[in-house]
Amino acid sequence: MMRRILYIIDEALRTVKRHKGLTSISVIIMSLSLLMLAVFLLATDNLLKLVSETQEEMKIYVYLEDGVGQQEAEKLYMTILGQAEVSRVEFVSKEDALADFKSQLGEDADLLSALSTNPLPNSFWVVPKEEYKTRDAIVGIADRLAQLKGVEEVRYGKEFLDKFASIVKGIYTVDIVVGFIVIMSAIFIIANAVRLTVISRKRTIEILKLVGATNPFIVAPFIIEGAFQGGVAAVLSLVLLRIVTEVSRSAIPDLNFFSLEKSLIYMLTCVLIGALGSFMALRRYLRMQ
Amino acid sequence: MSDEQNETPSDRSVIGVFHLTKTYGDQHALDDVNFNIGNGEFVFMVGPSGAGKSTLLRMIYMDEYPTSGQVVVGNFVSTRMRRRDIPYLRRRVGIVFQDYKLLEDRTVAENIGIGMRITGASPFAIKRRVASLLNDIGLYHKRLEMPQSLSGGEQQRVAIARALVNHPAILLADEPTGNLDPDSAEDVLRLLFKINNGGTAVLMATHDHSFVQNFGQRIIHLRDGKVFEDKKTGLVGNLSDRLDALRMDRERQKRVDHAIKRQRASSLAPTKTE
Repeated sequence: MMRRILYIIDEALRTVKRHKGLTSISVIIMSLSLLMLAVFLLATDNLLKLVSETQEEMKIYVYLEDGVGQQEAEKLYMTILGQAEVSRVEFVSKEDALADFKSQLGEDADLLSALSTNPLPNSFWVVPKEEYKTRDAIVGIADRLAQLKGVEEVRYGKEFLDKFASIVKGIYTVDIVVGFIVIMSAIFIIANAVRLTVISRKRTIEILKLVGATNPFIVAPFIIEGAFQGGVAAVLSLVLLRIVTEVSRSAIPDLNFFSLEKSLIYMLTCVLIGALGSFMALRRYLRMQ
Repeated sequence: MSDEQNETPSDRSVIGVFHLTKTYGDQHALDDVNFNIGNGEFVFMVGPSGAGKSTLLRMIYMDEYPTSGQVVVGNFVSTRMRRRDIPYLRRRVGIVFQDYKLLEDRTVAENIGIGMRITGASPFAIKRRVASLLNDIGLYHKRLEMPQSLSGGEQQRVAIARALVNHPAILLADEPTGNLDPDSAEDVLRLLFKINNGGTAVLMATHDHSFVQNFGQRIIHLRDGKVFEDKKTGLVGNLSDRLDALRMDRERQKRVDHAIKRQRASSLAPTKTE
Protein backbone atom coordinates (compact mmCIF):
# COMPACT_ATOMS: atom_id res chain seq x y z
CA MET A 1 0.00 0.00 0.00
CA MET A 2 2.73 2.39 1.08
CA ARG A 3 4.72 1.51 -2.03
CA ARG A 4 1.72 2.32 -4.22
CA ILE A 5 1.26 5.70 -2.60
CA LEU A 6 4.95 6.43 -3.11
CA TYR A 7 4.67 5.33 -6.73
CA ILE A 8 1.73 7.65 -7.31
CA ILE A 9 3.40 10.67 -5.73
CA ASP A 10 6.66 9.91 -7.49
CA GLU A 11 4.92 9.66 -10.87
CA ALA A 12 3.03 12.91 -10.31
CA LEU A 13 6.18 14.82 -9.35
CA ARG A 14 8.12 13.33 -12.25
CA THR A 15 5.59 14.46 -14.82
CA VAL A 16 5.41 17.92 -13.30
CA LYS A 17 9.20 18.13 -13.41
CA ARG A 18 9.50 16.77 -16.94
CA HIS A 19 6.77 18.93 -18.40
CA LYS A 20 7.73 22.15 -16.66
CA GLY A 21 6.67 24.30 -19.62
CA LEU A 22 3.24 22.82 -20.09
CA THR A 23 2.63 22.65 -16.36
CA SER A 24 3.49 26.31 -15.88
CA ILE A 25 1.33 27.39 -18.79
CA SER A 26 -1.62 25.49 -17.47
CA VAL A 27 -1.03 26.80 -13.94
CA ILE A 28 -0.90 30.38 -15.25
CA ILE A 29 -4.10 29.92 -17.25
CA MET A 30 -5.73 28.41 -14.21
CA SER A 31 -4.62 31.14 -11.84
CA LEU A 32 -5.83 33.91 -14.15
CA SER A 33 -9.26 32.40 -14.50
CA LEU A 34 -9.28 31.75 -10.77
CA LEU A 35 -8.37 35.38 -10.20
CA MET A 36 -11.51 36.34 -12.08
CA LEU A 37 -13.46 34.02 -9.83
CA ALA A 38 -11.71 35.30 -6.71
CA VAL A 39 -12.43 38.93 -7.57
CA PHE A 40 -16.06 38.02 -7.89
CA LEU A 41 -16.08 36.10 -4.64
CA LEU A 42 -14.35 38.92 -2.80
CA ALA A 43 -16.82 41.47 -4.15
CA THR A 44 -19.69 39.27 -3.04
CA ASP A 45 -18.07 38.74 0.32
CA ASN A 46 -17.76 42.49 0.84
CA LEU A 47 -21.30 43.17 -0.31
CA LEU A 48 -22.68 40.54 2.03
CA LYS A 49 -20.69 42.04 4.86
CA LEU A 50 -22.08 45.47 4.03
CA VAL A 51 -25.60 44.10 3.97
CA SER A 52 -25.20 42.33 7.28
CA GLU A 53 -23.60 45.35 8.90
CA THR A 54 -26.58 47.41 7.79
CA GLN A 55 -28.92 44.76 9.06
CA GLU A 56 -27.06 44.79 12.35
CA GLU A 57 -28.33 48.29 12.92
CA MET A 58 -31.90 47.48 12.15
CA LYS A 59 -33.91 48.33 15.24
CA ILE A 60 -37.50 49.04 16.05
CA TYR A 61 -38.12 52.02 18.33
CA VAL A 62 -41.11 51.74 20.61
CA TYR A 63 -42.16 55.02 22.25
CA LEU A 64 -44.27 54.84 25.37
CA GLU A 65 -47.20 57.01 26.40
CA ASP A 66 -46.41 59.65 28.96
CA GLY A 67 -48.43 58.20 31.78
CA VAL A 68 -46.83 54.77 31.75
CA GLY A 69 -45.25 54.00 35.08
CA GLN A 70 -42.35 51.86 36.11
CA GLN A 71 -44.39 48.71 36.70
CA GLU A 72 -46.25 48.95 33.47
CA ALA A 73 -43.02 49.57 31.59
CA GLU A 74 -41.52 46.46 33.08
CA LYS A 75 -44.56 44.46 32.04
CA LEU A 76 -44.26 45.83 28.49
CA TYR A 77 -40.58 44.95 28.48
CA MET A 78 -41.41 41.34 29.29
CA THR A 79 -44.17 41.21 26.70
CA ILE A 80 -41.93 42.52 23.95
CA LEU A 81 -39.08 40.22 24.89
CA GLY A 82 -41.61 37.38 24.87
CA GLN A 83 -42.21 37.80 21.13
CA ALA A 84 -40.76 34.96 19.11
CA GLU A 85 -38.99 37.25 16.63
CA VAL A 86 -37.28 39.44 19.20
CA SER A 87 -33.74 38.85 20.32
CA ARG A 88 -33.05 41.90 22.48
CA VAL A 89 -34.92 44.74 24.13
CA GLU A 90 -33.30 47.77 25.71
CA PHE A 91 -35.08 50.37 27.85
CA VAL A 92 -34.19 54.02 27.27
CA SER A 93 -35.55 56.34 29.94
CA LYS A 94 -36.55 59.83 28.94
CA GLU A 95 -33.54 61.16 30.89
CA ASP A 96 -31.16 58.93 28.97
CA ALA A 97 -32.82 60.00 25.76
CA LEU A 98 -32.31 63.63 26.62
CA ALA A 99 -28.68 63.07 27.54
CA ASP A 100 -28.18 61.26 24.24
CA PHE A 101 -29.84 64.05 22.40
CA LYS A 102 -27.64 66.60 24.15
CA SER A 103 -24.49 64.84 23.26
CA GLN A 104 -25.66 64.59 19.66
CA LEU A 105 -26.28 68.30 19.55
CA GLY A 106 -22.80 69.04 20.88
CA GLU A 107 -22.19 72.78 20.90
CA ASP A 108 -25.83 73.58 20.35
CA ALA A 109 -26.77 71.71 23.54
CA ASP A 110 -27.57 74.89 25.44
CA LEU A 111 -30.60 75.24 23.21
CA LEU A 112 -32.16 72.56 25.36
CA SER A 113 -31.65 74.45 28.58
CA ALA A 114 -34.52 76.64 27.45
CA LEU A 115 -36.79 73.65 28.03
CA SER A 116 -38.38 73.45 31.41
CA THR A 117 -39.57 69.89 31.02
CA ASN A 118 -38.15 66.91 29.17
CA PRO A 119 -40.26 66.50 26.02
CA LEU A 120 -38.82 63.09 25.16
CA PRO A 121 -40.74 59.92 25.98
CA ASN A 122 -39.53 56.73 27.59
CA SER A 123 -38.80 54.16 24.91
CA PHE A 124 -37.51 50.72 24.05
CA TRP A 125 -35.37 49.76 21.20
CA VAL A 126 -35.99 46.29 19.93
CA VAL A 127 -33.54 44.15 17.99
CA PRO A 128 -35.18 41.38 15.96
CA LYS A 129 -33.51 38.00 15.60
CA GLU A 130 -31.27 37.66 12.51
CA GLU A 131 -33.78 35.69 10.47
CA TYR A 132 -36.45 38.34 11.06
CA LYS A 133 -34.39 41.25 9.86
CA THR A 134 -36.34 41.46 6.64
CA ARG A 135 -38.66 44.19 5.60
CA ASP A 136 -41.85 42.14 5.89
CA ALA A 137 -40.98 40.64 9.26
CA ILE A 138 -40.11 44.01 10.72
CA VAL A 139 -43.33 45.55 9.51
CA GLY A 140 -45.21 42.65 11.09
CA ILE A 141 -43.47 43.03 14.46
CA ALA A 142 -43.88 46.78 14.44
CA ASP A 143 -47.61 46.51 13.73
CA ARG A 144 -48.05 44.09 16.55
CA LEU A 145 -46.04 46.18 19.02
CA ALA A 146 -48.09 49.24 18.11
CA GLN A 147 -51.23 47.43 19.35
CA LEU A 148 -49.82 47.02 22.87
CA LYS A 149 -51.36 49.08 25.62
CA GLY A 150 -49.17 51.98 26.70
CA VAL A 151 -47.38 52.24 23.37
CA GLU A 152 -47.73 55.57 21.70
CA GLU A 153 -45.78 55.04 18.53
CA VAL A 154 -43.54 52.55 16.78
CA ARG A 155 -40.87 53.59 14.32
CA TYR A 156 -38.60 51.49 12.22
CA GLY A 157 -37.42 53.63 9.30
CA LYS A 158 -39.98 52.44 6.81
CA GLU A 159 -38.59 54.33 3.83
CA PHE A 160 -35.06 53.18 4.47
CA LEU A 161 -36.22 49.60 4.86
CA ASP A 162 -38.09 49.66 1.59
CA LYS A 163 -35.14 51.07 -0.29
CA PHE A 164 -32.70 48.72 1.39
CA ALA A 165 -34.81 45.66 0.57
CA SER A 166 -34.97 46.52 -3.11
CA ILE A 167 -31.24 47.30 -3.29
CA VAL A 168 -30.36 44.01 -1.65
CA LYS A 169 -32.67 42.17 -4.02
CA GLY A 170 -30.99 43.87 -6.99
CA ILE A 171 -27.53 43.07 -5.69
CA TYR A 172 -28.40 39.42 -5.18
CA THR A 173 -29.86 39.07 -8.65
CA VAL A 174 -26.85 40.64 -10.34
CA ASP A 175 -24.51 38.68 -8.12
CA ILE A 176 -26.09 35.35 -8.94
CA VAL A 177 -26.12 36.01 -12.68
CA VAL A 178 -22.53 37.26 -12.75
CA GLY A 179 -21.49 34.48 -10.40
CA PHE A 180 -22.96 31.83 -12.65
CA ILE A 181 -21.13 33.19 -15.69
CA VAL A 182 -17.84 33.57 -13.84
CA ILE A 183 -17.95 30.14 -12.26
CA MET A 184 -18.91 28.41 -15.50
CA SER A 185 -16.16 30.11 -17.46
CA ALA A 186 -13.57 29.39 -14.76
CA ILE A 187 -14.51 25.71 -14.77
CA PHE A 188 -14.47 25.63 -18.56
CA ILE A 189 -11.04 27.25 -18.78
CA ILE A 190 -9.57 25.08 -16.03
CA ALA A 191 -11.01 21.89 -17.51
CA ASN A 192 -9.42 22.79 -20.84
CA ALA A 193 -6.08 23.62 -19.31
CA VAL A 194 -6.08 20.27 -17.55
CA ARG A 195 -7.23 18.48 -20.68
CA LEU A 196 -4.26 19.93 -22.51
CA THR A 197 -1.97 18.29 -19.96
CA VAL A 198 -3.77 14.99 -20.28
CA ILE A 199 -3.75 15.00 -24.08
CA SER A 200 0.00 15.52 -24.02
CA ARG A 201 0.28 12.24 -22.12
CA LYS A 202 -2.11 10.31 -24.30
CA ARG A 203 0.75 8.12 -25.45
CA THR A 204 1.85 7.47 -21.89
CA ILE A 205 -1.66 6.39 -20.98
CA GLU A 206 -1.85 4.11 -24.00
CA ILE A 207 1.48 2.49 -23.17
CA LEU A 208 0.61 2.05 -19.51
CA LYS A 209 -2.54 0.24 -20.58
CA LEU A 210 -0.57 -2.01 -22.89
CA VAL A 211 1.81 -3.11 -20.16
CA GLY A 212 -1.10 -3.94 -17.88
CA ALA A 213 -1.56 -0.97 -15.57
CA THR A 214 -4.91 -0.90 -13.82
CA ASN A 215 -6.99 2.24 -14.13
CA PRO A 216 -6.39 3.52 -10.58
CA PHE A 217 -2.65 3.27 -11.22
CA ILE A 218 -2.99 5.34 -14.37
CA VAL A 219 -5.43 7.86 -12.96
CA ALA A 220 -4.01 8.53 -9.52
CA PRO A 221 -0.83 10.39 -10.56
CA PHE A 222 -2.88 12.60 -12.88
CA ILE A 223 -5.33 13.44 -10.14
CA ILE A 224 -2.52 14.32 -7.75
CA GLU A 225 -1.01 16.45 -10.49
CA GLY A 226 -4.32 18.19 -11.18
CA ALA A 227 -4.78 18.84 -7.47
CA PHE A 228 -1.25 20.19 -7.26
CA GLN A 229 -1.84 22.51 -10.21
CA GLY A 230 -5.12 23.66 -8.67
CA GLY A 231 -3.40 24.39 -5.37
CA VAL A 232 -0.54 26.35 -6.91
CA ALA A 233 -2.97 28.28 -9.11
CA ALA A 234 -5.12 29.05 -6.06
CA VAL A 235 -2.18 30.48 -4.14
CA LEU A 236 -1.08 32.51 -7.17
CA SER A 237 -4.56 33.89 -7.72
CA LEU A 238 -4.84 34.84 -4.04
CA VAL A 239 -1.53 36.71 -4.23
CA LEU A 240 -2.76 38.56 -7.33
CA LEU A 241 -6.07 39.27 -5.63
CA ARG A 242 -4.26 40.67 -2.61
CA ILE A 243 -2.40 43.07 -4.88
CA VAL A 244 -5.65 44.05 -6.62
CA THR A 245 -7.27 44.63 -3.22
CA GLU A 246 -4.46 46.81 -1.94
CA VAL A 247 -4.54 48.89 -5.11
CA SER A 248 -8.31 49.35 -4.97
CA ARG A 249 -8.19 50.42 -1.33
CA SER A 250 -7.43 53.95 -2.47
CA ALA A 251 -10.85 54.01 -4.10
CA ILE A 252 -12.75 51.78 -1.67
CA PRO A 253 -11.15 52.14 1.77
CA ASP A 254 -13.52 49.65 3.43
CA LEU A 255 -12.55 46.78 1.13
CA ASN A 256 -11.83 43.65 3.13
CA PHE A 257 -9.68 40.72 2.08
CA PHE A 258 -10.82 37.12 2.67
CA SER A 259 -10.51 35.86 6.21
CA LEU A 260 -7.94 33.09 6.72
CA GLU A 261 -10.74 30.57 6.97
CA LYS A 262 -12.29 31.65 3.68
CA SER A 263 -8.89 31.65 1.97
CA LEU A 264 -8.36 28.06 3.07
CA ILE A 265 -11.79 26.99 1.84
CA TYR A 266 -11.07 28.72 -1.45
CA MET A 267 -7.74 26.91 -1.88
CA LEU A 268 -9.27 23.57 -0.98
CA THR A 269 -11.99 24.13 -3.56
CA CYS A 270 -9.38 24.93 -6.23
CA VAL A 271 -7.47 21.76 -5.34
CA LEU A 272 -10.68 19.78 -5.78
CA ILE A 273 -11.48 21.51 -9.08
CA GLY A 274 -7.99 20.62 -10.37
CA ALA A 275 -8.35 16.99 -9.33
CA LEU A 276 -11.83 16.73 -10.76
CA GLY A 277 -10.72 18.39 -14.01
CA SER A 278 -8.00 15.77 -14.42
CA PHE A 279 -10.38 12.96 -13.74
CA MET A 280 -12.95 14.23 -16.24
CA ALA A 281 -10.34 14.72 -18.94
CA LEU A 282 -8.95 11.24 -18.31
CA ARG A 283 -12.22 9.41 -18.42
CA ARG A 284 -12.30 9.57 -22.20
CA TYR A 285 -8.99 7.79 -22.53
CA LEU A 286 -9.75 5.23 -19.89
CA ARG A 287 -12.66 3.89 -21.85
CA MET A 288 -10.14 2.60 -24.35
CA GLN A 289 -9.39 -1.00 -23.50
CA MET B 1 17.52 -28.38 -29.97
CA SER B 2 15.06 -25.57 -29.77
CA ASP B 3 13.22 -27.43 -32.47
CA GLU B 4 12.77 -30.42 -30.21
CA GLN B 5 11.04 -28.16 -27.75
CA ASN B 6 8.88 -26.65 -30.41
CA GLU B 7 7.87 -30.03 -31.81
CA THR B 8 6.28 -30.98 -28.56
CA PRO B 9 4.07 -28.19 -27.37
CA SER B 10 2.65 -28.98 -23.96
CA ASP B 11 -0.90 -30.22 -23.78
CA ARG B 12 -2.12 -26.80 -22.69
CA SER B 13 -1.95 -24.11 -25.30
CA VAL B 14 -1.20 -20.46 -24.57
CA ILE B 15 -3.54 -19.15 -27.19
CA GLY B 16 -6.64 -20.70 -28.64
CA VAL B 17 -8.55 -19.01 -31.44
CA PHE B 18 -11.94 -20.54 -32.26
CA HIS B 19 -14.10 -19.57 -35.24
CA LEU B 20 -12.94 -16.02 -34.84
CA THR B 21 -14.79 -13.53 -37.01
CA LYS B 22 -14.46 -9.78 -36.90
CA THR B 23 -16.42 -7.42 -39.07
CA TYR B 24 -16.31 -3.66 -39.36
CA GLY B 25 -19.57 -2.63 -40.95
CA ASP B 26 -19.92 -5.06 -43.84
CA GLN B 27 -16.15 -5.48 -44.09
CA HIS B 28 -14.84 -8.88 -42.99
CA ALA B 29 -11.51 -8.25 -41.29
CA LEU B 30 -11.31 -11.82 -40.03
CA ASP B 31 -13.42 -14.71 -41.16
CA ASP B 32 -13.66 -17.97 -39.19
CA VAL B 33 -10.05 -18.12 -38.06
CA ASN B 34 -8.95 -21.14 -36.01
CA PHE B 35 -5.61 -22.05 -34.50
CA ASN B 36 -3.82 -22.97 -31.31
CA ILE B 37 -0.42 -21.91 -30.08
CA GLY B 38 1.23 -24.26 -27.61
CA ASN B 39 3.37 -23.37 -24.66
CA GLY B 40 6.81 -22.34 -25.82
CA GLU B 41 5.93 -22.48 -29.51
CA PHE B 42 7.34 -20.05 -32.08
CA VAL B 43 4.90 -19.00 -34.77
CA PHE B 44 5.20 -16.56 -37.62
CA MET B 45 2.00 -15.01 -38.88
CA VAL B 46 2.46 -13.78 -42.42
CA GLY B 47 0.23 -12.12 -44.93
CA PRO B 48 0.02 -8.94 -46.97
CA SER B 49 -0.96 -5.74 -45.20
CA GLY B 50 -4.69 -5.68 -44.69
CA ALA B 51 -4.88 -9.45 -44.29
CA GLY B 52 -5.98 -9.01 -40.67
CA LYS B 53 -2.74 -9.69 -38.78
CA SER B 54 -2.90 -6.65 -36.54
CA THR B 55 -6.61 -7.11 -35.96
CA LEU B 56 -5.97 -10.67 -34.89
CA LEU B 57 -3.22 -9.59 -32.49
CA ARG B 58 -5.50 -6.93 -31.02
CA MET B 59 -8.09 -9.62 -30.36
CA ILE B 60 -5.43 -11.62 -28.53
CA TYR B 61 -4.46 -8.79 -26.20
CA MET B 62 -8.14 -7.92 -26.12
CA ASP B 63 -7.97 -4.38 -27.30
CA GLU B 64 -10.96 -5.43 -29.36
CA TYR B 65 -13.45 -8.27 -29.12
CA PRO B 66 -14.51 -10.72 -31.80
CA THR B 67 -17.79 -10.20 -33.60
CA SER B 68 -18.26 -13.92 -33.16
CA GLY B 69 -16.08 -16.79 -32.06
CA GLN B 70 -13.72 -16.84 -29.12
CA VAL B 71 -10.15 -16.12 -28.12
CA VAL B 72 -8.64 -17.91 -25.14
CA VAL B 73 -5.38 -16.71 -23.62
CA GLY B 74 -4.36 -18.82 -20.64
CA ASN B 75 -7.26 -18.48 -18.23
CA PHE B 76 -8.70 -15.47 -20.01
CA VAL B 77 -11.63 -16.02 -22.32
CA SER B 78 -12.72 -13.20 -24.61
CA THR B 79 -16.41 -13.85 -24.14
CA ARG B 80 -16.12 -13.68 -20.38
CA MET B 81 -13.74 -10.72 -20.03
CA ARG B 82 -14.62 -7.85 -17.76
CA ARG B 83 -12.92 -4.53 -18.27
CA ARG B 84 -11.05 -4.82 -15.00
CA ASP B 85 -9.53 -8.20 -16.00
CA ILE B 86 -7.71 -6.70 -18.96
CA PRO B 87 -4.66 -5.36 -17.08
CA TYR B 88 -4.01 -8.83 -15.68
CA LEU B 89 -4.22 -10.37 -19.15
CA ARG B 90 -1.74 -7.79 -20.43
CA ARG B 91 0.75 -8.84 -17.77
CA ARG B 92 0.64 -12.39 -19.14
CA VAL B 93 1.06 -11.23 -22.75
CA GLY B 94 4.08 -9.19 -23.81
CA ILE B 95 3.41 -6.89 -26.75
CA VAL B 96 5.89 -5.39 -29.19
CA PHE B 97 5.08 -2.99 -32.02
CA GLN B 98 6.69 -1.75 -35.18
CA ASP B 99 7.02 1.75 -33.69
CA TYR B 100 8.46 0.50 -30.32
CA LYS B 101 6.10 2.67 -28.25
CA LEU B 102 8.72 3.64 -25.70
CA LEU B 103 8.19 6.48 -23.24
CA GLU B 104 10.42 9.26 -24.44
CA ASP B 105 10.65 10.98 -21.08
CA ARG B 106 12.13 7.96 -19.33
CA THR B 107 15.46 6.23 -19.46
CA VAL B 108 15.94 2.84 -21.07
CA ALA B 109 15.97 1.15 -17.65
CA GLU B 110 12.82 2.97 -16.55
CA ASN B 111 11.08 1.99 -19.76
CA ILE B 112 11.84 -1.66 -19.16
CA GLY B 113 10.86 -1.47 -15.50
CA ILE B 114 7.55 0.31 -15.99
CA GLY B 115 5.57 -2.88 -16.54
CA MET B 116 6.76 -4.17 -13.19
CA ARG B 117 6.38 -0.87 -11.40
CA ILE B 118 2.70 -0.76 -12.15
CA THR B 119 2.27 -4.13 -10.46
CA GLY B 120 3.62 -2.66 -7.24
CA ALA B 121 6.80 -4.75 -7.26
CA SER B 122 9.60 -3.70 -4.94
CA PRO B 123 12.23 -1.33 -6.36
CA PHE B 124 14.90 -3.91 -5.59
CA ALA B 125 13.12 -6.69 -7.50
CA ILE B 126 12.56 -4.32 -10.43
CA LYS B 127 16.19 -3.30 -10.49
CA ARG B 128 17.36 -6.90 -10.52
CA ARG B 129 14.96 -7.98 -13.24
CA VAL B 130 15.73 -4.95 -15.40
CA ALA B 131 19.48 -5.52 -15.06
CA SER B 132 19.14 -9.11 -16.18
CA LEU B 133 17.00 -8.13 -19.17
CA LEU B 134 19.44 -5.36 -20.10
CA ASN B 135 22.17 -7.99 -20.19
CA ASP B 136 20.01 -10.27 -22.33
CA ILE B 137 19.49 -7.58 -24.94
CA GLY B 138 23.10 -6.40 -24.67
CA LEU B 139 22.27 -2.83 -23.74
CA TYR B 140 23.30 -2.69 -20.09
CA HIS B 141 25.77 0.08 -20.90
CA LYS B 142 22.93 2.21 -22.30
CA ARG B 143 20.52 1.76 -19.41
CA LEU B 144 20.60 5.44 -18.41
CA GLU B 145 20.16 6.83 -21.91
CA MET B 146 16.92 8.13 -23.33
CA PRO B 147 15.28 5.99 -26.02
CA GLN B 148 15.62 8.71 -28.68
CA SER B 149 19.39 8.47 -28.51
CA LEU B 150 19.26 4.76 -29.41
CA SER B 151 19.15 3.26 -32.89
CA GLY B 152 15.91 1.72 -34.10
CA GLY B 153 17.16 -1.79 -33.50
CA GLU B 154 18.23 -0.92 -29.98
CA GLN B 155 14.89 0.71 -29.26
CA GLN B 156 13.10 -2.40 -30.44
CA ARG B 157 15.26 -4.55 -28.18
CA VAL B 158 14.33 -2.29 -25.26
CA ALA B 159 10.66 -2.67 -26.20
CA ILE B 160 11.09 -6.44 -26.23
CA ALA B 161 12.74 -6.36 -22.81
CA ARG B 162 9.87 -4.28 -21.50
CA ALA B 163 7.40 -6.81 -22.86
CA LEU B 164 9.22 -9.60 -21.02
CA VAL B 165 9.55 -7.92 -17.65
CA ASN B 166 6.62 -9.73 -16.06
CA HIS B 167 7.58 -13.16 -17.45
CA PRO B 168 4.70 -13.42 -19.90
CA ALA B 169 3.62 -16.79 -21.29
CA ILE B 170 3.68 -15.39 -24.81
CA LEU B 171 5.26 -12.52 -26.66
CA LEU B 172 3.21 -10.89 -29.43
CA ALA B 173 5.22 -8.97 -31.99
CA ASP B 174 3.46 -6.91 -34.65
CA GLU B 175 5.92 -6.27 -37.51
CA PRO B 176 8.78 -5.85 -35.03
CA THR B 177 11.30 -5.56 -37.83
CA GLY B 178 9.17 -3.35 -40.05
CA ASN B 179 11.09 -0.15 -39.36
CA LEU B 180 14.53 -1.69 -39.17
CA ASP B 181 17.44 -2.08 -41.52
CA PRO B 182 18.27 -5.69 -42.33
CA ASP B 183 21.10 -5.96 -39.77
CA SER B 184 18.95 -4.70 -36.93
CA ALA B 185 16.04 -6.81 -38.13
CA GLU B 186 18.25 -9.83 -37.89
CA ASP B 187 19.35 -8.88 -34.37
CA VAL B 188 15.75 -8.59 -33.32
CA LEU B 189 14.89 -11.92 -34.89
CA ARG B 190 17.83 -13.58 -33.15
CA LEU B 191 16.65 -12.09 -29.88
CA LEU B 192 13.15 -13.46 -30.42
CA PHE B 193 14.58 -16.92 -31.09
CA LYS B 194 16.68 -16.65 -27.94
CA ILE B 195 13.63 -15.67 -25.90
CA ASN B 196 11.72 -18.59 -27.36
CA ASN B 197 14.59 -20.87 -26.36
CA GLY B 198 14.00 -19.71 -22.83
CA GLY B 199 10.49 -21.17 -23.00
CA THR B 200 8.39 -18.14 -23.90
CA ALA B 201 6.00 -18.64 -26.79
CA VAL B 202 6.36 -16.08 -29.57
CA LEU B 203 3.83 -14.99 -32.19
CA MET B 204 5.39 -12.64 -34.70
CA ALA B 205 3.35 -10.99 -37.42
CA THR B 206 5.10 -9.85 -40.58
CA HIS B 207 4.23 -9.09 -44.16
CA ASP B 208 7.67 -10.25 -45.30
CA HIS B 209 7.14 -13.90 -46.13
CA SER B 210 10.55 -14.49 -47.64
CA PHE B 211 12.35 -13.10 -44.62
CA VAL B 212 10.94 -15.72 -42.26
CA GLN B 213 10.47 -18.61 -44.65
CA ASN B 214 13.32 -20.93 -43.94
CA PHE B 215 13.81 -20.90 -40.19
CA GLY B 216 11.96 -24.13 -39.64
CA GLN B 217 9.16 -22.50 -37.68
CA ARG B 218 5.45 -22.82 -37.98
CA ILE B 219 3.95 -20.22 -40.29
CA ILE B 220 0.32 -19.21 -40.24
CA HIS B 221 -0.46 -17.61 -43.54
CA LEU B 222 -3.31 -15.14 -43.40
CA ARG B 223 -5.02 -13.91 -46.53
CA ASP B 224 -8.19 -11.82 -46.74
CA GLY B 225 -8.99 -12.50 -43.11
CA LYS B 226 -8.77 -16.27 -43.49
CA VAL B 227 -6.11 -18.82 -42.59
CA PHE B 228 -4.78 -19.64 -46.03
CA GLU B 229 -2.13 -22.03 -44.83
CA ASP B 230 -0.86 -23.21 -41.44
CA LYS B 231 2.25 -25.33 -41.69
CA LYS B 232 5.62 -26.00 -40.32
CA THR B 233 8.41 -24.96 -42.66
CA GLY B 234 11.53 -26.95 -43.16
CA LEU B 235 14.76 -25.61 -41.80
CA VAL B 236 17.44 -25.19 -44.44
CA GLY B 237 20.65 -26.04 -42.64
CA ASN B 238 20.39 -24.90 -39.03
CA LEU B 239 19.04 -21.68 -37.67
CA SER B 240 22.38 -20.05 -37.23
CA ASP B 241 23.55 -21.07 -40.71
CA ARG B 242 20.36 -19.76 -42.16
CA LEU B 243 20.85 -16.38 -40.50
CA ASP B 244 24.45 -16.29 -41.65
CA ALA B 245 23.39 -17.11 -45.19
CA LEU B 246 20.92 -14.29 -45.04
CA ARG B 247 23.61 -11.93 -43.92
CA MET B 248 25.99 -13.00 -46.62
CA ASP B 249 23.29 -12.40 -49.20
CA ARG B 250 22.74 -9.02 -47.75
CA GLU B 251 26.37 -8.07 -47.64
CA ARG B 252 26.78 -9.07 -51.25
CA GLN B 253 23.72 -6.98 -52.05
CA LYS B 254 25.18 -4.05 -50.12
CA ARG B 255 28.43 -4.21 -52.04
CA VAL B 256 26.49 -4.23 -55.29
CA ASP B 257 24.37 -1.29 -54.14
CA HIS B 258 27.43 0.57 -53.09
CA ALA B 259 29.12 -0.03 -56.44
CA ILE B 260 26.06 1.15 -58.29
CA LYS B 261 25.87 4.29 -56.19
CA ARG B 262 29.51 5.08 -56.78
CA GLN B 263 29.05 4.48 -60.45
CA ARG B 264 26.12 6.87 -60.56
CA ALA B 265 27.88 9.50 -58.49
CA SER B 266 30.87 9.55 -60.81
CA SER B 267 28.70 9.63 -63.91
CA LEU B 268 26.64 12.45 -62.43
CA ALA B 269 29.58 14.54 -61.32
CA PRO B 270 30.49 16.05 -64.70
CA THR B 271 26.90 16.88 -65.59
CA LYS B 272 26.61 18.71 -62.30
CA THR B 273 29.46 21.07 -63.06
CA GLU B 274 28.08 22.01 -66.40
